[in-house]
Amino acid sequence: MLFSKDRIGGLILLVFCVSYGFLSQQIVLLPFQAKAAFHARTMPEILTVLGIALSLMVIFKPGSGEMPKLGKQNWLVAGLFLALMSLYGLTIRPFGFIFSTSVFLIAGFALLGERSVMKLLLIALPLVVGFWVLMTQGLDVFIEPFPWFMQGD
Amino acid sequence: MIEGIIVGLSTALTLTNLVFVVIGCLAGTFIGMLPGLGPMSAIALMIPIAASLDPSTGIILMAAVYYGAIFGGSTSSILINAPGVASTVATSFDGYPMARKGMAGKALAIAAYSSFSGGVIAAIFLLVAAPYLASVSLSFQSTDYFALMVLGLTAVAAFAGKGEMLKALLMTVVGLMLSTVGTDQTQGIPRFTLGLIDLIDGISFLLLVMATFALSEALIAILKPTSDASRKEEMEASANLGSMKLSNDEVKEMVPVIGRSSFLGFLIGVLPGAGATIASFLAYGTEQRIAGPVKGKEFGKGSIRGLAAPETANNAAATGSFVPLLTLGIPGSGTTAIMLGALIGYGIQPGPRLYIDQPEVFWSVIVSMWIGNIILLVLNLPLIPYIARVLAIPSRFLLPLILFFSLIGVYFVSFNTFDIQLMVLFGFIAVMLRFLDFPMAPMILGFILGGMMEENLRRALLINNDSWSFLWERPLTFSILVIAALCLFVPVVLPYVQRIRKGAKITGE
Repeated sequence: MLFSKDRIGGLILLVFCVSYGFLSQQIVLLPFQAKAAFHARTMPEILTVLGIALSLMVIFKPGSGEMPKLGKQNWLVAGLFLALMSLYGLTIRPFGFIFSTSVFLIAGFALLGERSVMKLLLIALPLVVGFWVLMTQGLDVFIEPFPWFMQGD
Repeated sequence: MIEGIIVGLSTALTLTNLVFVVIGCLAGTFIGMLPGLGPMSAIALMIPIAASLDPSTGIILMAAVYYGAIFGGSTSSILINAPGVASTVATSFDGYPMARKGMAGKALAIAAYSSFSGGVIAAIFLLVAAPYLASVSLSFQSTDYFALMVLGLTAVAAFAGKGEMLKALLMTVVGLMLSTVGTDQTQGIPRFTLGLIDLIDGISFLLLVMATFALSEALIAILKPTSDASRKEEMEASANLGSMKLSNDEVKEMVPVIGRSSFLGFLIGVLPGAGATIASFLAYGTEQRIAGPVKGKEFGKGSIRGLAAPETANNAAATGSFVPLLTLGIPGSGTTAIMLGALIGYGIQPGPRLYIDQPEVFWSVIVSMWIGNIILLVLNLPLIPYIARVLAIPSRFLLPLILFFSLIGVYFVSFNTFDIQLMVLFGFIAVMLRFLDFPMAPMILGFILGGMMEENLRRALLINNDSWSFLWERPLTFSILVIAALCLFVPVVLPYVQRIRKGAKITGE
């Protein structure tokens, strides 16, 4: 098969290895370092050659011709979860742990089909507050609970 | 050795450590039971907690989680035919048919007793083999360590399965590449940082493990939702377990199987790269052959031997995989690679010096294996009907929680939101690669060993006046490299040789 799973994966990793090889040449070496038998570029250069050779082998001699099955997968929901996680990363500092985590969990439960508002709130809020108390009081790991406008100096 | 056991007992039997063994076993069972989440994800999720503990307690906790997760994986294999990990696939061959016959409780008891026996017997082997290997490996030099790491990485690829070797090797190289991101340790030069300050210290090992295992497992589960019918089946299976008592005849049938499978599992576990999956399948196949034509026919239909063999072997192999980790500092599997990363995080370098410099860590790990196995048997078995209810938690609540724990686990270590974004990116790439059937474990192994491999190679060249001749001039290094080459080429060449022989036979006839 022309576009088998192995070939697509091999191609993606070939691009990665070539980019890695290109970036390895951007590593700045001082003149005395460049003369050493082993310097900061040695390992990356060896790995680039190995990586390119292996990805080409995977492309030209794939282990299986199985095609990727794209149907029947919840791509949209998975994509929304990726966006939600990224948003969580952006909001955890300015909006504080309790608000951002509650929103993350409520949105997550809702994305997977929970429609009862009561359940969404009753599961997410006590869990988030309980976890925050456990971390701050039990394990001495402090994390700002409140949004920026409620935070102290 | 007796002195060592006493040191181990005095460390492992403190109240704090015992509490953490119990917590680890329960948490491991709980996580391992969730379809898709295996020991690697379970240990990865525990690392942020373990990091706040002292080294012995942290390692004891992770070892307990490891065993618990294997046991939990067996439970979901038996009850709902959904092996959490590859090493419990063979368990489902006979465990699930037993559960279908209304003997789920009995199947779980057989799995628990077999796991316990396999773990305990293998821990005795470990007790004998580890100090001996550690004393031998004291004479190893940087060149030998470099060669051993090459062997470890190639062996993982060699055992990857038919048609998978190239992909496993490629993923190993990708892991090695990722390990070079950050400041070069010796020359202090930034590499592959893309001008980002956040990458100056390199990619966090925990971040990579969480993204490629816990996070991607949850995302894959979101991609493939389970049907309502299968959810109903899961809830019914976890509610009706039946009796857990075994008859004398059943015990008599199990004992020789456990003896053989423990030995086989341990030996396979010691080999770098082979691990619990191969051990469980090999033990299953061996027992099927030994059983003879009558008993052999029961295999796959609810055979006691067919369940006891893989369960014993996978636990024995899990113990065996600690041998190269503790004595050489080289992980034999993805799981022990994560443990190695955690040990390095504590500032502990596993290897022959660990046995001498920090005997309390070395021995407490071994002793905690026994304690962990006892706790699994005494505590988990009676609690299984209750723990199994985790299978009834709807995935719409469970999956966002797994994602949350993965993200927050990494964030709590660095308090850097960049890590969350990087994790999302790696999680996405991991899902894509797993979707294309590219294995993640070799990548983690490559990532963990990358830094050490580069350092040992650099040191070896320095000792040998910048000459690469050490690769063939030092007999031990050369021998290890030859074994590594054989690991790579034998699986490739063997099918051709067999084909030629077959062709010659047909022509001869």
